[in-house]
Amino acid sequence: MKIVGKIIGISELSVKVLLIDENVSLRDILECEFDDKTYEFEVVEINENIAKLIPFGRVNGLRKGLDVKLKEGGLQIEYSPKILGRVYNSYGEGIDGKNVASQQKKNVYERKLSLMEISIRNNPLWTGIKVIDFFAPLQKGYKMGLLGGAGVGKTVLIKEIINNVYKKFKSNAIFIGVGERSREGKELYDEMKADDLLDKMCMVFGQMGESPCSRSKAVYSGLTVAEYLRDEQKQDVLLFIDNIYRFVQAKSEISTELKRIPIENGYPTTMASDISEVEERINSTDIGSITSFQAIYIPADDITDDAVQAITTHLDGQIVLDRKVAEKGLYPAINVFKSSSKAIDPEKIGRRHYDLVQETLKYLSRYEELEEIIAVLGIDELSEEDKLIFYRSRKLRNYFTQPLFVSENYTGIKGEMVDIEDTLTDVEDILNGKYDDIDEEKLLFRGKLNGKQG
Amino acid sequence: MGTHIDELVNQKIEQIKNNENVFDSGTVIQVKDYIIEVAGLENVTYFEKVTIWEKGMGYVNQIKENSVTVAIVKEDAPIEIGDLVKTTGEQFKAVFARQALGRIVDIFGTDLLTGKVFDKIEYINIENDTIPIMDRREVNRPMLTGIAGIDLIYPIGKGQRQLIIGDKKTGKTQICLDTIVNQGAIIDNRANDVICIYIAVGKTKKEIKTIYNELLKRNAISYTMMVVATNDDKAPVVSLIPFVGLSIAEEFMKMKKDVIVVIDDLKKHADVYREISLVSDKTPGREAYPADIFYLHARLLEKGCQYKNGGSITILPIVETKGGDITDYISTNIISITDGQIVLSEKEFAKGNKPAINYKNSVSRLGGAVQKADIKKLGAEIRRTFLSYLETKEVYELANMDEMTPELRNKMKVGKQIQEALNQPKFRPLTNEEIIDKFKKLAKQEGNIDEN
Repeated sequence: MKIVGKIIGISELSVKVLLIDENVSLRDILECEFDDKTYEFEVVEINENIAKLIPFGRVNGLRKGLDVKLKEGGLQIEYSPKILGRVYNSYGEGIDGKNVASQQKKNVYERKLSLMEISIRNNPLWTGIKVIDFFAPLQKGYKMGLLGGAGVGKTVLIKEIINNVYKKFKSNAIFIGVGERSREGKELYDEMKADDLLDKMCMVFGQMGESPCSRSKAVYSGLTVAEYLRDEQKQDVLLFIDNIYRFVQAKSEISTELKRIPIENGYPTTMASDISEVEERINSTDIGSITSFQAIYIPADDITDDAVQAITTHLDGQIVLDRKVAEKGLYPAINVFKSSSKAIDPEKIGRRHYDLVQETLKYLSRYEELEEIIAVLGIDELSEEDKLIFYRSRKLRNYFTQPLFVSENYTGIKGEMVDIEDTLTDVEDILNGKYDDIDEEKLLFRGKLNGKQG
Repeated sequence: MGTHIDELVNQKIEQIKNNENVFDSGTVIQVKDYIIEVAGLENVTYFEKVTIWEKGMGYVNQIKENSVTVAIVKEDAPIEIGDLVKTTGEQFKAVFARQALGRIVDIFGTDLLTGKVFDKIEYINIENDTIPIMDRREVNRPMLTGIAGIDLIYPIGKGQRQLIIGDKKTGKTQICLDTIVNQGAIIDNRANDVICIYIAVGKTKKEIKTIYNELLKRNAISYTMMVVATNDDKAPVVSLIPFVGLSIAEEFMKMKKDVIVVIDDLKKHADVYREISLVSDKTPGREAYPADIFYLHARLLEKGCQYKNGGSITILPIVETKGGDITDYISTNIISITDGQIVLSEKEFAKGNKPAINYKNSVSRLGGAVQKADIKKLGAEIRRTFLSYLETKEVYELANMDEMTPELRNKMKVGKQIQEALNQPKFRPLTNEEIIDKFKKLAKQEGNIDEN
């Protein structure tokens, strides 16, 4: 390795280097060895002969005047069948203790899709989760956002989708953990292992305890692996990202460190292009597809947040989790008014499903109005028609809760998957008054109803 | 480069170098509260401990081309321009002493009850690297608080991070003290090895003394270490203290001990960190907090885990809110890190419900996974019944009781009974058996929901 410069400045999240070599460019990886430790950095800014680097890890113990060397090939990750069953960190290093020789590696920034390559197909993909399949159905190749504030159940839902979709379709999957809990990452690994699904999956983690550099790289590394399966193995791949907001967050930490002028709420100036760069890579071609589920954290419960909005413009659909719904004990805590999908179109899901969605939304929005009236006047003051809407809506609301496989431990109820046809029939029946005489309580946390009276 | 000022500075550095030979030295060229800029110190390492001649001590928090920024942790006399600064050749470290159990210690390892340093000490990193993902194990052993509303409804496991959040005077610290005291009962029974660490982040001396006395009175101090930074300590000290406390916890965890860490509190910590960031000219972000405020708390709380060797660190961070709003920036940040939250509310407190837990907003992400089979089943049932009651209560508050269906009337009755049963005075811990006894009948009465 060649010496390319010397360290001239250090702060917690960045290092300044005086370059003596001109062949250093952005996104190059530099290395410094000192006191039996190897420190690695990525170049993020070059101004004449001064480069600014962000460290992979902590910089404690580093000092001025040390030599830095250039690492050939930049940031790379395995690009071969050997990725399956493996766990990597953001920098493409295996962290599962398995000793697997690398076959071939690839730079994580290289791939870009041309308009020509992109394919739009439309096979439906059912999750078996009633409220998603009904209000925000998705198709193969879709990008689905799962939005929610802190602690309303994003990760639980993404795990349920992994459980249902992945187990049902048996396709390979990539899980990218960005800025989330290490505990959950490890639990997912353990569960996959216990279910013998590990060899169909590859995981890349840059979790919340790690540096902003790590958290911002996990997405690129994970995407490269997903692209391998799509482009080289010609597969339909499932991609789970938990949580894409943390990617933007990491980028803003880096941007602040570089003293760049932020836009609103401290987000980096380059936010929109950063997001586009990764989102444009998550697409399908004629030979393979990537269907992605992206959890999106809503900071301070503010859905109008700039970063959240910038991400959702790239999506084909969104499922919004709402604290107000969670407070009522209704899980999954989905706000059906804010959730949507491009598949809600009679041409895609059929007239019956489409009409039922419209009708249900009509009921539920009237219900919201009625709730306010009741808070002042009480139920007895409602007209007979409104009373009917009120009670049926409460039943609909309860019906759309569901026992999930991944929260069996929490609820003590066995998880269930529901076929979309059953959901449609049940909703139709509730709207038509078939369950008018049943206690609303009995519709809570059930699978399909089957016309059963309770 | 090569301006006039640079030349002057370089000249100065030359002069200083010629004068000194043992350790690197420099002079103070700017003083900005507790952040000083020092010329010289050419070979200093990042986070190295430096001394300000006869006046204080600090650590290097930034190395620039021609100067070094130092955060002051101790100032015995006012630091002035021109003061001599020396390197020490070692990183700024925390102190670990087993004797500190039962005592109140500061960041320098001083026993604040005697003012002395412990005899047997060990220097440890203020902050260790993140515990690798693959070194963690599933969190599934119960950490019993003795509080029915927690152990039954929102249980906590060993290695879990459970936030305690609420307004002033809603009993946040009390829940943690109850938990610490309850460990004593468990230790006596089963000779278990639990260590508690209470970290005070910028509390008043009076508050700290009160907590010490409470623990002392209830024989809970022998297995508890209080790691404190008072509110008149230097801001860098207050911002480092939770890390120090957790480094100490990691030492115990590596000895296969179960450690419970209380951090009181993280809102204060966020504010101190914001202050330092702004004084250090970092760009402010949302609510003027720096962009890395999430990272700060994430890496701190990620130290809580069930470790592969059998030891564990359970963290109970406290966050103080205003006006009962748990959706502000810092609170939601921390909620998104922890494995659940116990929300305390002024309203419940005023209604006389103690502990004043708001059961609708509280959550445990691990739930039944950390409960034993018998209490798990009961807990799931009681929780479902009770939450459903709370929700229904709002809608049917104005409805006529007589016109309700019998099912609904029963639900309202049972719900109210559960609410009453959850009331529990402080320092009166219940065992799992006692909790099961108390709530069993309430689950039975309800009956007709689980038929299908």
